[in-house]
Amino acid sequence: MATKIISLEDVKKSYFIKSEEFSILKGINFDIEKGEFVSLMGPSGSGKSTLLNIIGALDKPTSGKYFIQEKLVSTLLSDQLADIRNRYIGFIFQNFNLIPTLSALDNVALPSFYAGKLAYERAKELLNMVGLSGRFNNRPNELSGGQRQRVAIARALINDPEFILADEPTGNLDSKTGREIMDLISSLKNKHGKTILMVTHDQHLSKITDRVIYLKDGKITNKKSV
Amino acid sequence: MTVNFLFQLFILSWQSLRANLFRSFLTTLGIIIGTTTIIIVVALGEGAKRDIEAQYSNMSVTTILVNAPATGGSPSKLSINDIPLVKEIPTVAEAVPMLTGKVNIAAGDNTTNFSVVGTYADFAEVANLEFVSGTFFTQEDEDGHNKQAILGATVAEELYGSKTPDVIGETVILGKREFEIIGIAKYRGGAFGPVTIDESVFTPYSSAYRYVLGKNGKFSFNVNASSVETLPATMDALAVVLRDAHNIGPSDTEDFRLRDMGATVASAQSSSATMAFLLGSVGFIVLLVGGIGIMNIMYVTVSERTKEIGVRKAIGAKDVYILTQFLFEAFILTAVGFVLGTIIALGFYYLLLSFDLKIVFVWWSLPLSFVITFAVGMFFGYAPAKQAAALNPIDALRYE
Repeated sequence: MATKIISLEDVKKSYFIKSEEFSILKGINFDIEKGEFVSLMGPSGSGKSTLLNIIGALDKPTSGKYFIQEKLVSTLLSDQLADIRNRYIGFIFQNFNLIPTLSALDNVALPSFYAGKLAYERAKELLNMVGLSGRFNNRPNELSGGQRQRVAIARALINDPEFILADEPTGNLDSKTGREIMDLISSLKNKHGKTILMVTHDQHLSKITDRVIYLKDGKITNKKSV
Repeated sequence: MTVNFLFQLFILSWQSLRANLFRSFLTTLGIIIGTTTIIIVVALGEGAKRDIEAQYSNMSVTTILVNAPATGGSPSKLSINDIPLVKEIPTVAEAVPMLTGKVNIAAGDNTTNFSVVGTYADFAEVANLEFVSGTFFTQEDEDGHNKQAILGATVAEELYGSKTPDVIGETVILGKREFEIIGIAKYRGGAFGPVTIDESVFTPYSSAYRYVLGKNGKFSFNVNASSVETLPATMDALAVVLRDAHNIGPSDTEDFRLRDMGATVASAQSSSATMAFLLGSVGFIVLLVGGIGIMNIMYVTVSERTKEIGVRKAIGAKDVYILTQFLFEAFILTAVGFVLGTIIALGFYYLLLSFDLKIVFVWWSLPLSFVITFAVGMFFGYAPAKQAAALNPIDALRYE
């Protein structure tokens, strides 16, 4: 039986504005198994960002349970959540989100530093792997968009996380560079057996994933309409 | 958090500051100026204090200085004739006259201009004079109007190029008359009443009056009370005796002035302490403003780096790591400011010294300014660091 990496049980999220309840997520249930490459799609306002924040351990659900590898995450405190983000999740953002004052190498190594086991050697290996051998000491502003995203991917892998959370990873890139980055992300699954959840707007991109989860009005649907 | 981890955090903070070098420098400028101010002010205060101490170091707290008022009224009748009358007051231990005036002093080819002091033989004891060679004159010299001179250290140096010349028995010309050198006083600094000891030539009172100064000499005398307790009574008695001797009516103004040296020293010390306190307060205010500068810029930094803080949190930085990083930044700014401020203060110190300003470096001004500077820097650095640590990662990530 395959291991469940992510498991959501009736996850709900509401915001209260002047005691009026706005329900964003209305009971989300799904699992992602080890080694799966899953895409999450949905129109703006579908609750996609909110769901992503909860899966990314940046936010907590109002009710329901969220497990990472059978570890209950939805009730943890903020420092414990920081630890979960650090060890279990590798983030890849649309706008790269590198630290501008740090070199590529330092950016990649940063999560290992926060984990208390600074791993420069591994950071170098990862930069080599994503094809940035000669760029260790460049700052982000000295790198192209595609190179920055490669640095971000290397950073996502440094602590050997349980899964990669990619939020529109090619959204800020031209189509050629976007394809290269998608190839790289696919290879994480194919060559390294990584579990990946990718948020995207792009139907073509979703086709290369194993499975697509559609979100509409705070619920998972089976209709493939976006 | 291990030591190594803290060290790495420290490096991170350092890198952030380095990335914005000029702004970091501007931020710490207030700290630099504040530190410099405190160190220099303490040195100036100490210099003033030492100066006052030196000026009055030869005076006993039981000394009363009697001289003519600076201005106005009829000419003072203060004279050598008052001395025997004053000595009759039971609480007066000593009374030493001093007739002073500046004259040309020559020996060999050298001529200088210093004070001649005509006094009594007990001056040496009262003023605690010590001698490099020779001795002071005696009562017999006074009675015989002997032309004998004792040179102060600076006078000897000016005339002979040495503070310890071997010139006993040689001749020095005071004004127009030849005097025999019978002693050289040891260098001691400071003053005794109106007399700067190192810059004076001492002779018997009668000889100074007769051969050198005459009526042009300024007359004053030092009275020592028998004890601190009898000092006020001695002051009163002096006034009565001198008024009587000078025929001053009950409603007329005195033609003499009595100064209690103990009170003079105390008031000089207290005014120098007040000055040091005022200057010190200025230094503290400068530091405070410097601290507010740090806080200001750090708040700007936090809002500028909101996104960065969000990213750091997203990839696993705990609140305390962010807090520590920003506190380190405040610490580095303060430390760099302190070090630069200290270096500039030392530069200033030597500059002022070269201008002969009375300034004395005191070692405890360093720990003092260190403590104040760091208290201020960390106090004002904490609030923005706390704000940075408390940012919600979702909001921070979305921040553009």
